[in-house]
Amino acid sequence: MPSSTNKPSLRQILFGSPIRAFGVVSLVFLVSLAIAPAKNHFSEWRHYQNQYLSLIQGRGDAVTLRRHFRGGIQQNWLPELGVVDRCTTCHVGQKEATLTDVGLQPFRRHPVMAHNVDQFGCVMCHRGQGAATTVEEAHSSTLAWEQPILPARYTEASCGQCHRAPLAETPELNLGRNLLAREGCVHCHTIKLPGGDTMKATDDPPSLSHIADKTTREWIYAWLKDPQAYAASATMPNFKLNDDNVRDISAFLVANSTPVAGDAATVSAKPGDTTAGASLYGESFCASCHAVQNAAGNVVGGNVGPELTRVGNKVKPEWLTAWLRNPRVYDPPTGMPHYRFNDQQISTLGTFLLAKSDSDFLANVHLDPATPEQITHGKTLVQEYGCAACHEINGIKRPENFAPELTRIGSKPITQLIFLPGMQHALPNYISAKIRQPRSFGSSLKMPQYTFTTQQIDALTTALLSRTDRAQTIPPALAVTATPESTYQPAGKAGQLMSDLACFSCHKINGRGGDMAPDLSWEGTSVQRAWLQQFLKNPNTLRPALIRRMPKFNLADSEINLLTDYIMTVYQTPAFDRDSIDSSGDSRVQVEQGRQLFYSKYACQSCHIVDPKADKGYVGPTLTQVGSRLTAAWVYHWLKDPQSLRPGTVEPNRNMSDDDARALTAFLMSQRSGGRPGNKAAKVQGERVPRLEARK
Amino acid sequence: MAKTTYFDALRASRLWRSIFRSGTGSSTLHNALAIQQNVFLHLFSTKVRRRMVSFSATWYLGTLTFGTFLILVITGILLMLYYHPSVPQAYADTKDLQFVVSSGLFLRNLHRWSAHAMVFLVFAHMFKVFYRGAYRPPREFNWVIGIVLLIVTLLLSYTGYLLPWDQLAFWAITVGSNIASAVPLFGNKVHFLMLGGNLVNANALLRFYVLHCMILPLAAIFFIAIHFWRIRKDGGLYAYHSEPSTLAAKGSSPPDVAEALPKGVS
Repeated sequence: MPSSTNKPSLRQILFGSPIRAFGVVSLVFLVSLAIAPAKNHFSEWRHYQNQYLSLIQGRGDAVTLRRHFRGGIQQNWLPELGVVDRCTTCHVGQKEATLTDVGLQPFRRHPVMAHNVDQFGCVMCHRGQGAATTVEEAHSSTLAWEQPILPARYTEASCGQCHRAPLAETPELNLGRNLLAREGCVHCHTIKLPGGDTMKATDDPPSLSHIADKTTREWIYAWLKDPQAYAASATMPNFKLNDDNVRDISAFLVANSTPVAGDAATVSAKPGDTTAGASLYGESFCASCHAVQNAAGNVVGGNVGPELTRVGNKVKPEWLTAWLRNPRVYDPPTGMPHYRFNDQQISTLGTFLLAKSDSDFLANVHLDPATPEQITHGKTLVQEYGCAACHEINGIKRPENFAPELTRIGSKPITQLIFLPGMQHALPNYISAKIRQPRSFGSSLKMPQYTFTTQQIDALTTALLSRTDRAQTIPPALAVTATPESTYQPAGKAGQLMSDLACFSCHKINGRGGDMAPDLSWEGTSVQRAWLQQFLKNPNTLRPALIRRMPKFNLADSEINLLTDYIMTVYQTPAFDRDSIDSSGDSRVQVEQGRQLFYSKYACQSCHIVDPKADKGYVGPTLTQVGSRLTAAWVYHWLKDPQSLRPGTVEPNRNMSDDDARALTAFLMSQRSGGRPGNKAAKVQGERVPRLEARK
Repeated sequence: MAKTTYFDALRASRLWRSIFRSGTGSSTLHNALAIQQNVFLHLFSTKVRRRMVSFSATWYLGTLTFGTFLILVITGILLMLYYHPSVPQAYADTKDLQFVVSSGLFLRNLHRWSAHAMVFLVFAHMFKVFYRGAYRPPREFNWVIGIVLLIVTLLLSYTGYLLPWDQLAFWAITVGSNIASAVPLFGNKVHFLMLGGNLVNANALLRFYVLHCMILPLAAIFFIAIHFWRIRKDGGLYAYHSEPSTLAAKGSSPPDVAEALPKGVS
């Protein structure tokens, strides 16, 4: 084009002379430098702070909110915890009590919690990159930060970093920790606790050293194929073994078993009929520990002992007889009490239990006699699969560190994990997938298949996520330690008797034992001797709403006296003397005054029953005969401060005056059995009650 | 140029004259004096042919390298204001630069990209010099200085790599220092000397920091000064005889070196 020759080209305009070129280059340089402060100015957090300011504009509480608002980058710095977090730069409203109606993040108010953000920061609980001031960097896992925000449903894991004892506010974490111990995870996986201990398993996998006494090879075969087919509630996981392996393992276990003297017991007594068996099963409160699957498929009963739905398929009759006579012969440390059954009862209960069987269960299991090769191969398999990590097996040592240690699994860098295709690359997803289906990560893996519910998997994941570096390294002064596990063992003959009766399976004494029955640490202060003797002879229930009660052990009188003496002498509270209050001389006036307080001022009848005809309290124990059961001193101090005598009891502390407590004690101690004056008083009081009943 | 501008008035002022001694005129002498009497510019020739500073002669690669070096010095000094060469603090400081310091990320990125660019430009510069035959006498010593500068540049790059104190840094230096320990006889001594220990740890961080911010930049400045000065001493940017394409085009033999030297050489 001819015109272009006259007009200077763009190149000539910009770079025609050195001065121009210098100017243009300088200008470009200046503009590109200006990008940095501009990016700084239009940063995300400034955007959110402006958004917040326009959000609170026009609200009723705008003045207060604006006064609380501080612009610029906000930071929590906790040097002793190694925490720097700037989350509050964008999460500006998290401390505002009046922002209840705002659901929009990042301005939502933080739910009420036990800790102050200023003292604990955000990342202690939520994880993520605290130092970051952009959403992506703070919340997600990036190239330079591996730990993203912890999904809200696992937040309790963070509590577990410092709180080593169970908390009322962390049910999921408590359940998870419980499951780790109860489902036998820690038999194979070591979990070191910060104090230097390791987590202990609370399940009690049976010894297989004498297995051939107890059951048949066919049952072992069926059990190994699918433990849950035998008992839905079985703890034993499914190792997904093939038929040949199961055949060889069962061959080895039976061949390896040594007999226990006395396991071939028989009884000559004729068994009672089925109803007698069922009622003996009920009276002995077997169901407190053992469950049975009912017709509807629900597993009903306790989970302390094994499920008994198909026990007839499993145990040999001779073994069952010996076991019912004295379980401690076969398994000395068992949690099963030694019931003093007579031959008739053993026969009745044995027949009743053996009838609990499923004729189809072993119908398809036909095993040829084991060959030496099969037995040798079985032994190899038992070693390979780490059976001895849980079970005691003759001649096989318990493997050390059989599975990866999980002490710091909660801080495991995700670059060290192998994820399945399509799986989100996050630690919680990995852990829960591993628990849900371990073999999906490779069929050669040894970890067996458990039958956990989704809730249990979440709880386990939570408990494992709590095992972080921080949990291990936090200064002891900042950690909330758990009370150390008690190894209390009562001494002497009484101690032996208590072990024989497995008192600790249900009762807690001096910090050791189960939680199924009351703590007996101060039982000697609390109850009267005569009542205790009577109770041991023939236990009854104290609480109307409770179906369970202590089983009857058929104790001999000498045993009852031994136990009573021991309990009355040893299990005393140091706080007061059991004989410090004598209620025998209480006046009628005092008793009447106590009655008034019971029914009017403190309305105790809403939870307790004194008059069975009128009172409807079903929460607390029945008090109709409390005067024969408890000591006056215990009643008095219980009324004054129940939590000091039994931490966590639901009985409220009513802050009673000394006089009120004394009067109520007088009234309660007048509630006696067997036509004592107190009972008459109850009848007199019965006539006074309609006034109260009319009010209901 | 008869018009007197404000700039001319400024140049005539006493203050200006007290700083710049070259006078107010715009004669060739004045221009030459402006170069010769400036402590920085006196390294260069007082006078060059326009042809010598044309883009095609050098592609400005040396100048660009020097430019990136200047950017690195400036941003590096600014970064030093925010950085502690200590194990607990180093990584946190780089994070703070990213998240809290105004334009801190820009500063870091500018430093990083300039460092990459400098390494690239140094190589490009050397290739250009090599293929244009500019290493040949009388410039052979300046080529050697150039090699020294290449090594200094690479060492600056390597020592700077450790300073963010992240995984990448740690393992890169671990690998690099292990390579050094493969040297026969005294490899392990070199390894120990580099790291101030047997592992990449606090001592290594401090050592690399001092090297990166102090020793190596000073060495670079020292050798850059010699490098620039030698350009003038060796006959300027564009020596006639070292231009093979010119020879081919003109079809004549090269004039001898003395003839090719510019007039202002002193």
